[in-house]
Amino acid sequence: MTLKSVDVILKRLAERPAELAAARAAGAKVVGFQGYSLPEELIHALGLIPLRIGLGGSDRLVELGGRYISTKNCVYVRETVGLFADDTDPYINNSDIFAFDATCLQTFRTAEVVQYYFKKNVLIVGVPRNFYLEEAETYFTAELRHFVSRLEEFAGAKLSFEKLADSIALYDQIRDEILAIYEYQATARPLISWEEVFDVIQAGYVLDRRDYLGLLQALHDELAAGQGAAVIAGADDEARIFISGSVIPPGDKKLISIIDQLGGRVVGDDLWSGLIPYVEVDIKEPTIAAVAWAYLHRTPHGALPYLDLATDGRIARLKSLIGKFKANGVIYHTLRYCDPYTFKAKETKDILENIGIPLLELHTEYAGSDVEAIRTRVEAFIEMIKLKTETGVAA
Amino acid sequence: MNEIPRHIQLSSVGSEQEYFRYPEDIREEFIQTDDIEFRDGSRVTAAEVWEYLTTVGPVKFPNLYDTSNLFTGRLSRDVTLPFTLKHNYLLMTMHERMTKAKAQGHPIVFVQGGQSVDPYYAAGAIALRPASTGIWARRQREGLTRNQDELEGQQDKQKAYNAISFEVCNSAGYEHIQEGNVPADMVAPYTALRCSDVSYGTEAHRHGPRSDQVKLLLVDYPLDHQKDKDWAIRYFADNVRRLIKNIDGLTGRTTTEDDLAREIKLHNEGRRLSVEIADLWWSAIDPPTNGKDRRDLFQLGGMEVHGDPVASLSILREAKGYIERRVRDGHKTKGVQDNAARLFVCGSCVFPNDYRCEEAGGIIVGNDNHWSDITTIINESGDPYYELAKGVLSYPYEQPLPERAKWTVEQIKKSRTDGVLFLYKWGCNTQSAIARLLVDEIKAQAGVPTIIIEDDMTRTQTEQLQNRVNAFIEMVS
Repeated sequence: MTLKSVDVILKRLAERPAELAAARAAGAKVVGFQGYSLPEELIHALGLIPLRIGLGGSDRLVELGGRYISTKNCVYVRETVGLFADDTDPYINNSDIFAFDATCLQTFRTAEVVQYYFKKNVLIVGVPRNFYLEEAETYFTAELRHFVSRLEEFAGAKLSFEKLADSIALYDQIRDEILAIYEYQATARPLISWEEVFDVIQAGYVLDRRDYLGLLQALHDELAAGQGAAVIAGADDEARIFISGSVIPPGDKKLISIIDQLGGRVVGDDLWSGLIPYVEVDIKEPTIAAVAWAYLHRTPHGALPYLDLATDGRIARLKSLIGKFKANGVIYHTLRYCDPYTFKAKETKDILENIGIPLLELHTEYAGSDVEAIRTRVEAFIEMIKLKTETGVAA
Repeated sequence: MNEIPRHIQLSSVGSEQEYFRYPEDIREEFIQTDDIEFRDGSRVTAAEVWEYLTTVGPVKFPNLYDTSNLFTGRLSRDVTLPFTLKHNYLLMTMHERMTKAKAQGHPIVFVQGGQSVDPYYAAGAIALRPASTGIWARRQREGLTRNQDELEGQQDKQKAYNAISFEVCNSAGYEHIQEGNVPADMVAPYTALRCSDVSYGTEAHRHGPRSDQVKLLLVDYPLDHQKDKDWAIRYFADNVRRLIKNIDGLTGRTTTEDDLAREIKLHNEGRRLSVEIADLWWSAIDPPTNGKDRRDLFQLGGMEVHGDPVASLSILREAKGYIERRVRDGHKTKGVQDNAARLFVCGSCVFPNDYRCEEAGGIIVGNDNHWSDITTIINESGDPYYELAKGVLSYPYEQPLPERAKWTVEQIKKSRTDGVLFLYKWGCNTQSAIARLLVDEIKAQAGVPTIIIEDDMTRTQTEQLQNRVNAFIEMVS
């Protein structure tokens, strides 16, 4: 049973391209962006429409992108370039300017390729690798000020304290709603699945942010009202899976559908295309410096290296979310040539092993050629977890 | 002293391996050449270098005297260029020299290629990049044939692949540092756009067996028009300050601005010498050296390959005079064909086999990686931290593509290049990503043919790579 408010969100999503085209015809300007450390609040506060661009799961677009960027880049990057080459994506075609950040160096390269081959107007935001140092805050604040000044030129408007305060308040509410909704999917008798929540989160990449907040509130209300009502059929609770690792963007259903088909139940994630961007974003005041501080102090993206394992916030967050959502196994998804997450796979496995959580690394692309191999491995993993759960050996 | 092997019986194939020897008839002239000076004030005479290369080296490192043209690191046959002998001496003695320097209180800091090392040496450390780290580790193993040396090298690499990922491009000395073959005190490279593995590779050391003994630090190199942003320059300068403070923590001394200014001056001399040598080399009608010696000479301006900038500088100073004379006299280099196709290499830190390119009728005349940093002279007046940061952030190789392409085209034109090879290492995300873009721009601006080739960086299994390079040489000849 699909929730009514989820249906509404999906319907709004289908209507969005035409809505954007109409808004642009009426004079609105659209910023397509990609990157973990790019504060949408700043775009929104300037009266611009932010769209988070990028899709996954299409081998055709990956091949197309690979003509411009290398086959040694991850498929997400290649597909992003493929979207520009294909020239049919409504969100790219409805963007007037593009912004990328340098969290992942491959994203930075994507920006260069897009600028060169597709003659797009591109802005780049530098991101400090030493994000935890005091001097990094100064640098990142200056980068964001530079970004805002260029957006101001583009928008023909100045960033005001009031408008930034409004945007921050709006985004804080969106984050709160997402966190609240996310809790429902992990309950023992869920009305909504993780997959549905994942789709809802990703719908927010392109929907009008005020409308999106209303839609989230409606979903939250429906979930609150439905507590104790009929649950999702087949919500097997014996293999509670947590997903970590590389990005799983809209359109990439390969791994998620395999887990679902095999009776695993995803109950949490720390993906930058999932929950993690919304966790503990604390913008203390409506200033660019406060936005910079908050974005640097979120859970760090895997592409931002942290040199002390014992105090790594990403690892700490992973452990706490696994505990919170009572997961009893982690599927660590890595895309080929996604160095930020691939390089950490063994390390993460060793860390989780110490707290009794098994980890299965799946190293893959969007091609269908490894589906059966993945299926076999996931099946064995789920079987192992279920056995452990039944025999009480679970963590 | 063990007997010097002239041949080694390869029992499995029943054949004998021939080894290269420096010819006695060059001895008298060579021993009249300059001493090598070292950072600690000591010197070694040319006669001592000769003695080492002809009696000690062949026993300890028969693999280096292998004569196969498949061996990219084969000793240069251009024996009348004293530089080549002294350079090889410094590489062969890496283990002894570095061990001695560490015992003298110089911390060992692992860095990356293509970056300046002025601040590390200013603080009294020794900065070693992956190649130098590998050389130090491998010079600890004596009496190996080339195949044995290659095998051991591959086994080392597997340890890094197991600990990090098989997709790590070259593992950057992880195995040597974490296995303790190289007693590094710190891993502290510039991050930079040149290689995504720098950051993640450094991070990987946090879970290695020596993680409690090796200090980790990233000198964070900001991206996107960084040289034009005052805040980016100040940020990088702060990172350099932090680096020096951390090295001071290891040495127990306090590095001053004057120390840094002095070191910048010293390194600038090396950079200038390399650029002058390059200009001389490129001005010659016939290449005054073979491709491998050219590369070693040009790269020496980075002042890091020997782990002793004073030693590098001393042989660089001497080499310039030899190149001047060769250019003036119209010297023809043995092994380089007349009207050889002149190739410029762009991309990752990989190279085709110079000797085999020359056999095929080409010669590599330049490269962008490990060169753009050397062509960048640091301003010697003002705040040395700020000026160093400003210079480092202006490395052409690290600039947005239009600027990088513009600089590359300038080098291509100066070196009278006939064709451009863009080579990238398998798994090198950031260089491979812009391979097509850069060569398209080079074609548009310089009008020279280009080719993109992926290299797996193995030293012996390079036939497919060489086939493509040779076909390209044939085309541009």
